[in-house]
Amino acid sequence: MTTTALKNPSEAERQLAERFARQKPEVAQKAAFEAFGRTGLPHRRMEQWKWTDVRQAVPELAPVTADADTTIELPSNAVKLSFDGTAWTIPDELPAGLNIFLISGGHDFAQADALPVGALAASMTGHSGKDMLMIEVSAKVDRPLVLSYHGGDDAAFSRVVFVVREACHVDIFEHYSGGSGFSSFLTEFGLAEGASANRTLLQEASQQEVTAITTTAHLETKAAFTQSALAFGGKLCRIETHLEHKGEGAEATLNGAYLAASGYHTDFTTHVTHGAESCVTSQLTKGAVADGGRGVFQGKFLVPRTIGQFTDAEMQHQALLLENGAEIFAKPELEIYADDVECEHGNTSGQLDEDALFYMQQRGIPKPEARALLTEAFIAEALEKAHEDVRAQLVEATRRFLRNQRGG
Amino acid sequence: MLKLDNLTADVGEGDGRKTILNGLSLEVPAGEVHAIMGPNGAGKSTLSYVLTGRDGYEATSGTATLNGDDLLDMEPDERAAAGLFLSFQYPVEIPGVPVMTFVRAAINAQRKTRGEDEISAPDFIKKAREIGQKLNIDADMLKRPVNVGFSGGEKKRLEIFQMMMMEPRFAILDETDSGLDIDALKTVADGVNALRSEDRGMLVITHYQRLLDHIKPDRVHVLAKGRIVKSGGPELALQLEKEGYDGILGEVA
Repeated sequence: MTTTALKNPSEAERQLAERFARQKPEVAQKAAFEAFGRTGLPHRRMEQWKWTDVRQAVPELAPVTADADTTIELPSNAVKLSFDGTAWTIPDELPAGLNIFLISGGHDFAQADALPVGALAASMTGHSGKDMLMIEVSAKVDRPLVLSYHGGDDAAFSRVVFVVREACHVDIFEHYSGGSGFSSFLTEFGLAEGASANRTLLQEASQQEVTAITTTAHLETKAAFTQSALAFGGKLCRIETHLEHKGEGAEATLNGAYLAASGYHTDFTTHVTHGAESCVTSQLTKGAVADGGRGVFQGKFLVPRTIGQFTDAEMQHQALLLENGAEIFAKPELEIYADDVECEHGNTSGQLDEDALFYMQQRGIPKPEARALLTEAFIAEALEKAHEDVRAQLVEATRRFLRNQRGG
Repeated sequence: MLKLDNLTADVGEGDGRKTILNGLSLEVPAGEVHAIMGPNGAGKSTLSYVLTGRDGYEATSGTATLNGDDLLDMEPDERAAAGLFLSFQYPVEIPGVPVMTFVRAAINAQRKTRGEDEISAPDFIKKAREIGQKLNIDADMLKRPVNVGFSGGEKKRLEIFQMMMMEPRFAILDETDSGLDIDALKTVADGVNALRSEDRGMLVITHYQRLLDHIKPDRVHVLAKGRIVKSGGPELALQLEKEGYDGILGEVA
């Protein structure tokens, strides 16, 4: 009995177990649910979740009334896929080099133990034949792929597996706009030799919603993965990315910007393993948090002995406390066992420069506007590598958010 | 135009609070350029911050008006919209905000406060190009974030660029000559002189005579211990250069 794996289940965990019990799981899904069951919904007594307590935030599965989300104008040639909380809708016609398959049945999720909420998504998907996709990229696809996530009632789960073939390329824009009380979305990237993916991600949710966006990425020799994420959080939002360099000379860029208004919680967690020589990781995370908001950054670079030689990795986290009462929790970690590497990290949290604010005011810019302009410029730096078709709109969304904060 | 009457101001907070301006009176009529000279610690920079409304620089008594409007009652951005411009002694870096974006935002914010229409993009760009040429500021510099990575001379030229773009009714130049070589000093002075007009006043704060060789003041005032202790024509600056502050201050004391 898989449900017995959960010790002293909460109401939400009991509901999840019931939901799982209604399925006809295969071995891989059972294994994933068992992995989830070993911890249940992650909570503050788990080191990796000490600042983001999902169990407490989701006492039970309950539907929400979805807020109006940001409208993003998409390029006319975009390949649009949408997930309504239950099923994916895929366009009939796809460009050459792009194959999309709806998957049913179980598929192993190797990192289930490290990623319990991702494991939950892996256990809950693949039963209906509508909520799991395999996207195969076998060319340099010049049309951006857009994945929209919206809706789902009390709980939503999806799993998407990208397979990017040798020397192929894809641009992806993912828009998560809430609509479900609790959701867990799992995306896995496998990048073959010389393959590349540029992923841009926008997350929004109402203050009632708990969202987990879990990503794994495996990079073979000289593969390149670029991620730019802008997250506004929710009651709780965890955007967790685990990346492994598996082939020599792979390159990863993991940029992100989190914003948290009063009552919002936004968490960026990343884990990068330099499992091959001469790989490059560049990570820039920026945050801006208002009174009553919480921002979390946890970043880890693991550089093993021998195989991690000649690693070049830099991690920067910079956060602004927009008001008194804002909270930011940060834990940058470098765990380095190789001896010939270049690894740097920096971590700052502070307030806007008063001298700069006065200078701007002296030139005629009212203080709230000066604050917004400075903060926007600060955040925008982390979005410089976002897909050019949406970059300006992400900055615009940031600007709207900042205009709505009191400042002070 | 600018009228200061018996202005007293404190700087700092709590136990560190000190009276720096101590009954300062001064009038600069429209169309004139006045210079303020004085030893270190006389209150020169404090005067510029009190007039522009920086936090921590508080006028405790007296008045300061620009064309009859009470400056002390306004927010710093309202003072700017009323036409008051300060060329900073130490211009501040604004990371991530390009010069063109910043200057346009500032001009439009001032116009909005005054109830005027925004400047059109083509007009703005044309004006920026023309003024940039006069000040040896190239297009590349205008695309860079404000003052970030600029040399001391570039920062000062950018202050004058902004002043010429904004066409303030009254400008305070706080030690604009510091950090400038001879050629840059000439460029900056040419910019300032180009703005001299019947309806505009200027206050040039400086330690040295050399800026006043290029920007000829109508009047020179000596500031010491928070008040004007001596006023005269341009010859007073030359006398200061020769005799030093001790000579002049000894004379009035």
